[in-house]
Amino acid sequence: MSPNPDSTIVDRQSESALSADAGDAGDAGDAGDAAAMLVGAGKRYGSDESAVVALDDVTIAFPAGKFTAVMGPSGSGKSTMMHCAAGLDRLTSGRALIGDTDLSTLGDRELTMLRRERIGFVFQTFNLVATLTAEENICLPLTLSGRRPSDAVHDQVVSMLRLGDRLHHRPAELSGGQQQRVAVARALVARPQVVFADEPTGNLDTRSGQEILGFLRSAVDMHHQSIVMVTHDPGAAVWADHVVFVVDGRVHDVMDRPSADSVLDVMRGLGR
Amino acid sequence: MSQMMRNAVRSVLASRGRFVLTGAAIMLSVAFLVATLVLADSMRGRAASDIAEAFAGTDAVMQGASLGEPGGGPGDPARSVRQSLDPDITERVASVDDVDGAASQWAGFAKLVVDGSSVGNGTASDVGRNWIADTALNPFRLTSGQPPTEVGEVVIDRSLADDAGVAPGDVVQVLTATGMHDATITGIATFASADAAPLQRTVLLPDAAVSAWLDTAAPTEVLVELAEDADRTEVLGRLSALSDAEVVDGPDYIRTMQDAATSPLQFLNAFLLAFAVVAVLIGATIIFNTFTLTVARRRRESGLLRAIGAERRQVLGGVVIEAAFIGTIATLAGLVCGVAGVDALRWVVGLTGISLLTGPPIVSPTSIAIAATVGIGATILSAWIPARRAAATPPIEALRESAAEPRVVSRARTVSGLVLAGAAIAGGAMAVVGSNPVWLMLAAVIFPALVLCGPAIVTATARWSSPAARRAAGVAGSIAAGNLAASPRRSASTALAFMLGTAMVTMFAIFASSLTSGVGTDVREGLQADLVVTSATPDFSTIDPTLADRIAERPDVDAVTALSKAEGIVEGKAEAIGGIDPTALPTMYDLDPIAGDLADLSSGGVAVVSDDPALLGGTLEIEFERSTIEAPIVAVVARSTGGFEAPLYFVDRATLDASVGRLLDAQVFVDLADGAGTDAEEDVSALVRDAPGSFLATREEHVASSGSEIAAFGNFIDGMLILASLIALLGVANTTALAINERSGEIGLLRAVGATRRELRRIVRLEVALLSFVAASIGIAVAVGFGWALIHVTGGEEIPSVVVPWSRLAVTLVVAVAAGVVAAAWPAFRVSRVPVLELAGRDR
Repeated sequence: MSPNPDSTIVDRQSESALSADAGDAGDAGDAGDAAAMLVGAGKRYGSDESAVVALDDVTIAFPAGKFTAVMGPSGSGKSTMMHCAAGLDRLTSGRALIGDTDLSTLGDRELTMLRRERIGFVFQTFNLVATLTAEENICLPLTLSGRRPSDAVHDQVVSMLRLGDRLHHRPAELSGGQQQRVAVARALVARPQVVFADEPTGNLDTRSGQEILGFLRSAVDMHHQSIVMVTHDPGAAVWADHVVFVVDGRVHDVMDRPSADSVLDVMRGLGR
Repeated sequence: MSQMMRNAVRSVLASRGRFVLTGAAIMLSVAFLVATLVLADSMRGRAASDIAEAFAGTDAVMQGASLGEPGGGPGDPARSVRQSLDPDITERVASVDDVDGAASQWAGFAKLVVDGSSVGNGTASDVGRNWIADTALNPFRLTSGQPPTEVGEVVIDRSLADDAGVAPGDVVQVLTATGMHDATITGIATFASADAAPLQRTVLLPDAAVSAWLDTAAPTEVLVELAEDADRTEVLGRLSALSDAEVVDGPDYIRTMQDAATSPLQFLNAFLLAFAVVAVLIGATIIFNTFTLTVARRRRESGLLRAIGAERRQVLGGVVIEAAFIGTIATLAGLVCGVAGVDALRWVVGLTGISLLTGPPIVSPTSIAIAATVGIGATILSAWIPARRAAATPPIEALRESAAEPRVVSRARTVSGLVLAGAAIAGGAMAVVGSNPVWLMLAAVIFPALVLCGPAIVTATARWSSPAARRAAGVAGSIAAGNLAASPRRSASTALAFMLGTAMVTMFAIFASSLTSGVGTDVREGLQADLVVTSATPDFSTIDPTLADRIAERPDVDAVTALSKAEGIVEGKAEAIGGIDPTALPTMYDLDPIAGDLADLSSGGVAVVSDDPALLGGTLEIEFERSTIEAPIVAVVARSTGGFEAPLYFVDRATLDASVGRLLDAQVFVDLADGAGTDAEEDVSALVRDAPGSFLATREEHVASSGSEIAAFGNFIDGMLILASLIALLGVANTTALAINERSGEIGLLRAVGATRRELRRIVRLEVALLSFVAASIGIAVAVGFGWALIHVTGGEEIPSVVVPWSRLAVTLVVAVAAGVVAAAWPAFRVSRVPVLELAGRDR
């Protein structure tokens, strides 16, 4: 049990689906409704005294079937938190779980398989392989494992994202918004356990950004897709079910059903 | 996987420019390799099929018992020395049951002379044979005219007839072991269907002329035709029962002949292959560079692929498929170019003066398979290392913004490089001190050492040269030096291709100059005669033996002495044995006796060329074709008479004549009277002009021309080097273009703040000039060191001392730097044309 009060802040939100009780989190049976989870997670860069602590004993669960936003000022560790939770980066202490699977026990190959089959990614930039068409980019995670998407899911995703007439274009022939829609489609089409989105709207104009967020929202609402999104934009965070605030590598606060004002208030309180 | 394949293909197509240059490098290397292999095959194949066809009717051959194996050296002809047959052998063979036909085959030296000058040049030998009446056994077929019947009638091969422009009915001369003979051409013949026997120019004589012209008492061989229904094994058994002869089965004979015909070309093939291997090495370095840069550029794409679940194997696979794709296309193009370019290679090789076999190229599946495997294999292997690095990068690392190569040079890498370099230098020193070639293996690690130290060297160079560059070229100089240091690994691997090229140039230059000097040293130091008469070819004596006496009769000629040569077997090896006049020769050519007395040769002793005076007093057995002499070693001399095929043993001239029969002279040394003017020289010159197969040279001319065979070889080396350099230059152009592409943001910035196009081009040129200078200097330095040790240890008697051609190396350095700058001109031009905004905004 962590003595760190910050990590237990979430307990205040008794009605929250976010379970942060390390004791419970450690119990695999109890993690049933968490899509992803960090338990006593620590990440430091470097080894000696000048080491930078990016995550400091974080315990948090991202609930299944919900849209969670992670916010924090630059350098707060929010991206590191997402990368570690998603198996892109390794923790130096503690555990990261996707469903029941403890990522720290996995080798590189198993981790790769897990990313391929159970996780979807949307990044801020450089989301697509330039030499592949939109269609091929969408199907890439499945192609990599030698599968084909089910036609139903594929058509559903494509029509939802309104990409029908763009499928055979290369990324260079698409607008930024369209590219990001392709990236979202790629993340969703394999029906992963959880989608991690790293500042997905950071490089888009407001309208395209709102569009993307709308798609993510409807994936949660219609298909119970679990989504974790890192953002610094309060306007993006309001699309989420919960917002997790990260400061100095610790979970500072958790907010349910956020509004633009309440998010801004917290952010201001964080000294932005 | 097919997705990865499509992806790889598209990514190649998307960056055509980059891969065209890489592909060109592979293509050239493969083309060179396949041309070499095809050339070798064609020569061997043509010779083999001609010989097989020519002797198709020969069922068996009787030969004298073999005395010894052919000599060892790379250029030595592989003829074995045999005991002579009995003169009556042919009749005895013919009388064996079930022998249908037996034909004597006499062979000796015969050179066609038309209008006073000998016909044919190059390394092919001049052979005289008897015309065999039995058409089934005669390897030659008459294409026009009549067979020779009377003494004074000859048939010549078609290639000789074409070279000399003669036809049946023309009157010519033939120089043989017994001197010059007048002859009438009665017909033209082919060897089977070929214009000439492989690497031979043949004059065919009637049986009646054989003993008088070729100076042989017994046939060299007897060609045997068996009755059609005969039991082959049984007849061969009966033949082998004949005394003093060995029977060789027809197919075995053909195989031996085929081997003998092509063996002189084998060292040439080895040489060409060495070049081809270096070309492939340079090509591989270029591929390595290209893929290192390509992979670096695609770091983030790899990261993305890894993040969304591509396994290492799949990322690796993508790059490898890409490499395989380029490798395959380039290799295919290389194969086509190589096969088409065989004639070009033949022409380049022709520059050496080495006679080659003609005929259409024979493209064997093996050559294609070897070249294709090497081409595609080298490409994939060179792409493998950077691809592995890319695949091993953690996805999160790759996705980060900065994808630049670390500026820091790995200390461990440099230290291990330095350790290897130390070991290499120690190995070289040990090799030289202990005269032990095994240590050279250790010295060879200097090359991996350089690969390891490369980045450190580049960084250090950039740092040291920066102030100088700044002074010379202002801020452009600083930027150029800084650019080198900015990505030391890339700069180093660019330099590597260049270094390999110059190192190879240097090695061969040193080898050639040392060999030339080695062959010439003995002559330079030993020759005292005013004039020297030489033979038409160094490996065959062609001077009329009466010439020396005729020269001696002229006024103003003080002394004349001749050198004759014969081949004998010493300790199982064929060696050249010199016949000298032990009292006259030392006054005109100093053999530098270090033990014993040359004068004792006249009492039947032998002199050995060696550095070891302790040999004196031993006994030496020399086996000749018809006799064996056992002689005490009465003198040890430090010097021979120079040139290729210089004798290693000397006996008295009379002893040699008695052992092998009458010989032509190899060289005649002439001393003019003191104060004799140019008239005397002109007098001798006129005599020599009238004696075909003899050439007059003054002392200075002879010293200069000793080793001139190797000068011709130098032309050949130059031709090869141009090719190797071309491949290396492609590499420089390619890597520079890629590097500039990678730095487009920075270049855009330079343009934005006001650098002119000219200044940009200047920066690029300076950078490449600096890099090529460093690479070429190191390449030359290492090759001088390694080459020196190599030749010093393994040179032996042929290359006694190492001569470094400094002026040539200086030219190499200048040319290398200039070529590098030229290679960089195109990328420099291209970058200067790109609009500023595009450069600044280009996504890395």
